Amino acid sequence: MEDIVCELLAQSLFAWGLIGRVQTENDDAILMACNATRIRIQSSPPGLPFRWMVTINGRKRGAISLVAVLRQVRAALDPGYAINRVHIAPLPPLTA
Amino acid sequence: MIGVLVLTGFLGSGKTTLLRHLLGQREFSRTAVIINEFGEIGLDHELVEASADSFIELATGCLCCRLRSDLAETIDDMLERRDRGKIPPFTRVVIETSGLADPAPILQTLMADPGIAGRLALSGVVTAVDAVNGESTLGREQISVKQVALADRLVLTKSDLAGASELPVLDRLAELNATAPVAFAHHGRVDPRVFDADAFDPRAKSLDINSWLGRAAEGHEHAHARHDPEIRTYAILRHAPIRAVTLTLFLETLAEHCGADLLRLKGIVNIAESPARPAVIHGVQHVFHPPAWLARWPSDDRRSRIVFITRRIPRRWVEVLLDALDAEVAAVSDSR
Repeated sequence: MEDIVCELLAQSLFAWGLIGRVQTENDDAILMACNATRIRIQSSPPGLPFRWMVTINGRKRGAISLVAVLRQVRAALDPGYAINRVHIAPLPPLTA
Repeated sequence: MIGVLVLTGFLGSGKTTLLRHLLGQREFSRTAVIINEFGEIGLDHELVEASADSFIELATGCLCCRLRSDLAETIDDMLERRDRGKIPPFTRVVIETSGLADPAPILQTLMADPGIAGRLALSGVVTAVDAVNGESTLGREQISVKQVALADRLVLTKSDLAGASELPVLDRLAELNATAPVAFAHHGRVDPRVFDADAFDPRAKSLDINSWLGRAAEGHEHAHARHDPEIRTYAILRHAPIRAVTLTLFLETLAEHCGADLLRLKGIVNIAESPARPAVIHGVQHVFHPPAWLARWPSDDRRSRIVFITRRIPRRWVEVLLDALDAEVAAVSDSR
C-alpha cells in the first residue's frame, strides 16, 4: 500500500506543478519535502478512527482516507489553490 | 424532459447559418432557441427565421462571463411562459453561444442548476469549425480550442469553400478531440441528425458511447503538440470491476484537484456491485451528473473505459489515483 501511496504523492506534486521529493522511510512512513515544508505520512496506529496520520512541519493530524491525505497535503504545499466545491451526486441505488 | 443542445464555435464559424438551416427542418419544429450575442446590438437573431411553432430568445452579453444565473433565469422564464401557453410548447432548446464564450460554465449551469436540471436535460454540445480559417483560429484563439475540446459533435462549416479534400484542420480536430465525430456542412447545410446528439443520455443511444470511446478507448493519447501541448485526450482502461465507493472517491478527488482543467470526462464503468449493468459517467470540470445505468453492456467489451479531455492533468496521476483509491477501499473492505 505504501508504495502506491508514495507514487501517488510523487505524481501529485508533478500534477500540481510543484517540485519536491517523496521517499519511503524504513518504518514505511512516507516523507515529502517541498520548499520549506516537511510532511510525514504513515498508517494510523490501531484504535484511532483514522487510516493515516499526516504530520506537517511537526503538527500531526488524522486523515480518514487518501482523499483526506491529498487534501491536507495540497493545502500545505499549494496554499494558493482553492479546492473546488465539488458538485457530485451520490451513486443512485442499484436496481435489478 | 426537454433536451438542450449547445451550439458553439468561434466568431464567424457559421453557427447562425447552421441554426437557420436547422430551424427550417421539419424535425426541428417546436424548438426554442436562445441566441447569445456579444455586444450591445445583436444581429444574429435577425438572421434566423423561426417557424410558427418555434421561437427565438435573445440574450446579449456573454453567458459564460456573466453570472450563470442569467442563463438559468432566461430558461426559467421560458418554461414558465410555455406552461402558461404564452409561447409555443417547445420540445427542445438550442442555445447558440457567443463566438467568444467558454461553453464550460454554460454546461455547468445546465447540469447543476436545480431549476433547470429537473425539467431540461443537456443533450450535447455541437461545435462549428470553419474549414477555411479554422486551423489558424485554433492556433490563435485559446477559447476556440476549448470549444472544440468540449464538443460531442464537430461540424466543419464552409467545407464547400475550402476546396481540398484533405483538410489540415481535420488533423487538428482529431488531436484536440478524438472522440467527437466530424460532420461536413456544405453551403450551411448539414445532416440534422448531427444535432440529435443525446450525448448526455447514453441510456437512449448506446451508439454514442461507442462513438466517444472511439479511438481513445484503445489507449491512444492525443495531444496538440504544436500549439496547445497542455490539452490532452486519453483513456483509462481497467479490466477488473471498480467498486462503487472507489468510483465516487475518484470522481470527488478529480473534481477537487483538477477543477477547470478537467474539460470533459466520459466513461463506461464496470461496477463491481453491478456486473450486468454498467454505469455511464460524465462530468464537466467539477460538475458531474449522477451515473446512468445502462440496461446491459453495449458490446462484449466489459472493460471500464474512462475518457479524459484535460488541460495540464498528467495521465499517470489519474491512473495512480484510481489504483491507490481502489487499493485503499479494498484494504478497508478486507479488514471488516
